[in-house]
Amino acid sequence: MADTVRVVHYLNQFFGGIGGEEHANVAFQATEGAVGPARALQQALGDQGIVVATFICGDNYFVEETDQVTPAVKEALKKFAPDFVVAGPCFDAGRYGLASAQMCVLAEEAGIPAVTCMYPENPGYTTFRRNLVCVPSGTQPTEMQSVLSKMASLGLKLARGEKLGPAAREGYLPTGIRLPVLREKPAWKRAIEMMEARVAEEPSLSEVLVQQYETVPTPPPIEDLTKITLGLVTSGGLVPRGNPDRQVSGHSEKENRYSIEGVRELSTDDWESVHGGFSTRFINTRNPSYVLPLPVLRDLQDQGELGDIYPYFFSTVGNGTPVTNAKRMGRDIALEFKEAGVQAALLVAT
Amino acid sequence: MIPMAAEASRVVRGVRVEHVCGDPTLSEEGDRAVTRRIVRTALRALQTDVTGPTIFEPSEPQAREPVLIA
Repeated sequence: MADTVRVVHYLNQFFGGIGGEEHANVAFQATEGAVGPARALQQALGDQGIVVATFICGDNYFVEETDQVTPAVKEALKKFAPDFVVAGPCFDAGRYGLASAQMCVLAEEAGIPAVTCMYPENPGYTTFRRNLVCVPSGTQPTEMQSVLSKMASLGLKLARGEKLGPAAREGYLPTGIRLPVLREKPAWKRAIEMMEARVAEEPSLSEVLVQQYETVPTPPPIEDLTKITLGLVTSGGLVPRGNPDRQVSGHSEKENRYSIEGVRELSTDDWESVHGGFSTRFINTRNPSYVLPLPVLRDLQDQGELGDIYPYFFSTVGNGTPVTNAKRMGRDIALEFKEAGVQAALLVAT
Repeated sequence: MIPMAAEASRVVRGVRVEHVCGDPTLSEEGDRAVTRRIVRTALRALQTDVTGPTIFEPSEPQAREPVLIA
């Protein structure tokens, strides 16, 4: 194949060199050539491919303005006509992961193969895994070069029209889709070999790896709100000014518990958000209740639309929270609520 | 949407990540009215029977059909 493969690289506002959280609302833009990490992608491609364009979009913009983004992406893909698209790597940035995943879906819809990369707990992968060729990464951008190489080599394969083998072999994350294959040995032979290995306590790999996604049963509705106590939780990182309990801005391991007994208003003098995943300027300079709507809940209480509000609210930072930590926090909070007779909870998530 | 994939049964759509329960581009009264609508939607959601992850839109009076996450 004499033709060099044309590649487009999708980046968010941070990796695209525009700025941090305060620029998360920047609109979708397509620039000719390689910008920022796209240059590292070009290095990884060598002379087998050329980065013809870098697509950049703010993380908030992509997920909030789908009506604007979708046509803009389609037009840009038409204009630059890549043979494959690279989106990310996103590591554990959740909104970036979602945007990249959706970018890949849009590319595939236009008949263009796409490769992305993120931490396996990134909601971009967990939500869209069936549609993605996603290289796994850790949480730190220090592995940028090595994951870009993997993405480049998978992308080149796809651009050449090659079908990818199983995830474990090719180095991408399982899609959850099972394809039938022909094996050399019949099933009964393989089963006996597996059993023999088990008995001898030797390693053996199951042919069916079941990925469990927890099914959460839906709780029944509340009959009469005026008869219940409502518990409040926020993952918006709301803490008393000065952050006395030293809540971290990301990868939180614990929830904090603060009294709201007799509290009606939340003032920026008394409260702040330490969430490191988005710009907290509105919460910290204008209204902390954006992540805990206590004043309105008090009004509704006065108007007789709600019974009691539990006198403590729980606060954590929902920014790259490992799922195990989130589960533990949820369990602890639910336990206290249950023991206190709280029948329903409001979680403000960011 | 993350909460749907995480199997949260009742999900109310907020305004934006930076100001989930309100809108600072509005006046104080307008902002508070948006918060009231969102909170009222949440309370309505608590009283609604659902069979799976369901989105409640503050701008719509009826709940949307639950979305199956394959």
